[in-house]
Amino acid sequence: MSSTALLVLVFGLGGVAWFFGRIKASGFVTGGTRGEVHSLPSYHGWYVALWAAIPAAVFLLVWNIVSPALITDAALTSPTAQQLPTDSFTRGSILAEARSIASGNQEKAFNPLSQAMVEPYRTAITYYQTLGMAAAILLVFACGAFAWLKVKPNLRARTKVERVTMIALLLASLIAIITTIGIFISLIFESARFFSMVSPIDFLFGTEWNPKAVAGPRGETGFGAIPLFWGTVFIGAIIAMLVAIPLGLMSAIYLTQYAPAQFRAWMKPILEVLAGIPTVVYGYFAALTVAPALRDLAVSIGISSASSESALAAGVVMGIMIIPFVSSMADDSIAAVPSAMRDGSLAMGATKSETIKKVLIPAALPGVVGGVLLAVSRAIGETMIVVMAAGLAANMTANPFSSVTTVTTQIVKLLTGDQEFDSPKTLAAFALGLVLFIVTLLLNLIALRVVKKYREAYE
Amino acid sequence: MNNQATSKIDPTPTDWSGDVMQRRIKQRYAAERRFKALGLGAILLSASFLLFLLVVMVGNGFRGFTQTELPVEIDFPALTNGAQPAQFEGPDAESRIRSLGVQDIVNGSIEIQYGNDGTDLFSAGAWTSVQSAILKNPSVLIEKTTFYLPVESELDVAYKGSGNPEVEKKITELGDQLSTGFNGNFMGNSDATDPMQVGIWGALKGSLITMFITLALAFPIGVAAALYLEEYAPKNRYTDLIEVSINNLAAVPSIIFGLLGLAVFLNIFGLPRSAALVGGLTLALMTMPVIVISGRNAVKSVPPSIREAALGIGASPIQVVFHHVLPLALPGILTGTIIGMARALGETAPLLMIGMRAFIAKPPDGITDPSTVLPVQIFLWSDEVNRGFVEKTSAAIIVLLVFLLTMNAVAIYLRNRFETRW
Repeated sequence: MSSTALLVLVFGLGGVAWFFGRIKASGFVTGGTRGEVHSLPSYHGWYVALWAAIPAAVFLLVWNIVSPALITDAALTSPTAQQLPTDSFTRGSILAEARSIASGNQEKAFNPLSQAMVEPYRTAITYYQTLGMAAAILLVFACGAFAWLKVKPNLRARTKVERVTMIALLLASLIAIITTIGIFISLIFESARFFSMVSPIDFLFGTEWNPKAVAGPRGETGFGAIPLFWGTVFIGAIIAMLVAIPLGLMSAIYLTQYAPAQFRAWMKPILEVLAGIPTVVYGYFAALTVAPALRDLAVSIGISSASSESALAAGVVMGIMIIPFVSSMADDSIAAVPSAMRDGSLAMGATKSETIKKVLIPAALPGVVGGVLLAVSRAIGETMIVVMAAGLAANMTANPFSSVTTVTTQIVKLLTGDQEFDSPKTLAAFALGLVLFIVTLLLNLIALRVVKKYREAYE
Repeated sequence: MNNQATSKIDPTPTDWSGDVMQRRIKQRYAAERRFKALGLGAILLSASFLLFLLVVMVGNGFRGFTQTELPVEIDFPALTNGAQPAQFEGPDAESRIRSLGVQDIVNGSIEIQYGNDGTDLFSAGAWTSVQSAILKNPSVLIEKTTFYLPVESELDVAYKGSGNPEVEKKITELGDQLSTGFNGNFMGNSDATDPMQVGIWGALKGSLITMFITLALAFPIGVAAALYLEEYAPKNRYTDLIEVSINNLAAVPSIIFGLLGLAVFLNIFGLPRSAALVGGLTLALMTMPVIVISGRNAVKSVPPSIREAALGIGASPIQVVFHHVLPLALPGILTGTIIGMARALGETAPLLMIGMRAFIAKPPDGITDPSTVLPVQIFLWSDEVNRGFVEKTSAAIIVLLVFLLTMNAVAIYLRNRFETRW
C-alpha cells in the first residue's frame, strides 16, 4: 500500500473515531446530567478523531523519511550485497537501479548486479512497508481508544480541540515565513557554490556575458552580468515605463476626474482585463505581431540593422501589460488627496486641468512614485515576454531596435539546457536569481515605505 | 516670486472683458480641452491595444479549430477480406482493429485515388481518425465509405490563405475536392510533432490537475493564515515579520518561485521532474499570499458588532470566527481565491524551471506523471518552426483566455452578488 493511500486510510479511521467519540458523548445528555457536560458532543468527536489521526499521520511522515535508509541497510546485509563493488559511486548507481525496479518504477536492469539486488530490495521494502503500515494502524487504534476512554462528561474537549485549531492556524501563517526563508537560503546556498567557482567581482562588474561550462585560456568564464543588467533596465525600467507611465497616469486621471460614471464603469474592467492576460500570451503577441511590425518600420525609416527580436517590441508590450497596474496605483493616490485641496484650487478659478497639474499630481506624487517603483519591480521580474521577444544576444546598446537580453531570459536559458546541476552555467542562474530577488525586494520595500509615509501625511 | 508679485502690484482692477484677458481665458480653456482629449486618448489607446490583441489572437486562432480535408473512399469489404462489424465489438475491440492494419488500408485507398504520391498530400496521422471511426461505429466496415481526412500541414496552411507558390499550385490541381471541416482532434489529442495532429487535451488535463493541487494546498493554508493574522495574532514583532513576508511574497517575481521549486522540491526532496505535483506545489506557494491578502480584507470587512454579539452570548473565540466571521467573509475570500487561481493558471515561467517543458504526447494520469500545462504548451508551440503551429498556438491561447475570462467573470459575479454593505 502506498504511503498516500495509507495516509487517506488514517484520516478515514479518524473520521470513524469522530463518530465513536460523538456517540459516547451524546449519551451523557440523555442521562439528564446536561449541566455537568462541559462540551458539545461533536467536540468530543473531534477530540477522539484528532487523537486517532494526528499521531499516526506524524508517524507516517517520519517513517517516510527514515524508511528508505532502513531499507537500504537491510538490503545490504543480504549475501548478494557482498559482491557489490566498494567504489561508492558505482555502488550507489547499482543500488538506485535495483531500488527503482523493486518499487516498480522501472522494468529491466541494465546492470546484472542490480538485477541480483532486486530480490533483497523487494523483501526489504515489503518488510518495512508492512511494518510501517502495522505500526500506523496500531497507533490509530491505540491513541483513538485512549482518547475514547477519556471522553467523560467533565472532559474539557472543546478547549483542547480549540487549542489544536489555534496551533494549526499559527502553523499556516508561518508557511509564508518558511517560504521566504526557503527562497533566501536556496538562492544563497546555490549562489555561494557559484561564487566559489566565479569571482563575485567578475560576475557583478564583468561586461562580457558568454557563459561557458569550462574557463577559457586566460581564466575568463564569460560570466560578466553587466550586459544583462543593462538589458533588464533598458527593457523593463526605460522602454516599458515610457509606455506605461504616460498611458497609465493619463488613463487614471481621465477615469477619476473627467469620465462620466457610465464610461468609468465600462472602462475600468476593460483595463483590468489587460492585467489578467497571461504573460505568455503577451509574449506570443510581441513575437508574432509587434516585433515584425517594428522591424519593418525600422527598415522603412532607414535603420537596416534592426533585429526581429528588438528591445523595443518586448519593452512596448511589457509597458502595455503594466498600464493597468500604474493606472490603479495612480488612481488610489489621486483619490487619497483630500478633496479640500482640490476644491480650494477650483474655487480660486483654476480650470480642472490646472488643478490636476498644479495641485493633485504634486500632492499625489509620492504615491505615484511608489506605484511606479512597484511597476518597475514587476517589469524587471517579468519573464515570458522577454524570453519570447527579446532575444539572447548580450549587447550593451541603447539602440531600441537591436536585440538585448535580460536577467530572466538568461535564467530560463541556463536552466532549460541539459547541463549537469553542478556546472557553473546552471548555478549562475541562481546567482542571477539572487540579484533579481534582492533588487525587487528593495524596490518593493522602498515603494511600500514611500506609499505608507504619504498616506500618513494626509490621514 | 512672492516678492516680485507684491512689489509690482497693480492697483487698477483686472479688465476681465478686455482683449488680453479674453485671449488668455481662451488659451486656458483650449489647454483644458487638450488635456481632457489626451486623457481620453490614453485610455482609448490602452483599450485598443486589448482589442487589437484579441482580434489578432481570435483571427489566427479561429483557423486552428478547423482543418482542410480531402475525401478518401475506402472499400472496406474488399480491403479487409470481408471483416464483419460484429468482430469489433466488445472489450478488446481496439487490439483487434489494430490487427486489421488500418494504416495500410487507408494508404492503399489514398494511392488508388490520388496516385502513388498521394499519401504525401495527407497528414501522417490521418489514418488514426479512420481507426477511431471504426472503433466508434464498426458498421462502416460493411460497405464503401468516404472519409474526409486531414491534409498535410503545408497544404492546410496554404488552403487557409498563406502558402508558398508551389503549394498553391497543388491546391489549384485539387480544386473542389478540398474542403474545410471541424478539427475534432484539437480538443481531444495531446502534443505531437505534426501540427495537423496536435491537440490541447493533454495540456488542459495537466493544467486541471496542477490547479487542483494548487487549490487544495493554497486555499486552506491561505484562509487559515488570514484568519490567524486578522483575528488572533498578537501585535508584536513576530506578527509584523509574518505580515512583511506575506506582502513581500506577493511581489516576488514568479520565476524566483520556480528557482525555489527546482532547488527544494526537485533537488532536496527528490520529487519527479515535470510532474503536476511539483507544479502545483510551486504555484501554491505563489498563490497563497494572494489568498491571504484578499482573505484578510474580507475578514476585516466583517463588522466587529457581529463578533461582539457572538462573544456576548458565550461563544468561544474559535466559535466566533468559524461560525460567524468565516461564513460572512467567504464570498470575499472566494473572489480573491479565484483571481489568484486565474493568475496561477496563466503562469509559465516557474513551471519552465521545474522541467514542465518536455514533449509530452500523452495526457497525465496522475499527479506524479510527467505533464505539461496550457501556457507552457503555448510557449512550446510558439517556438516551433512549422507554420502550421501558428494557428494552433493562437487556438490554444483562445482556450486559455476563455478559461481565464470565465474565472474572472465568476469572481466579479460573486463579488457583486454576495457583497454585503454593512
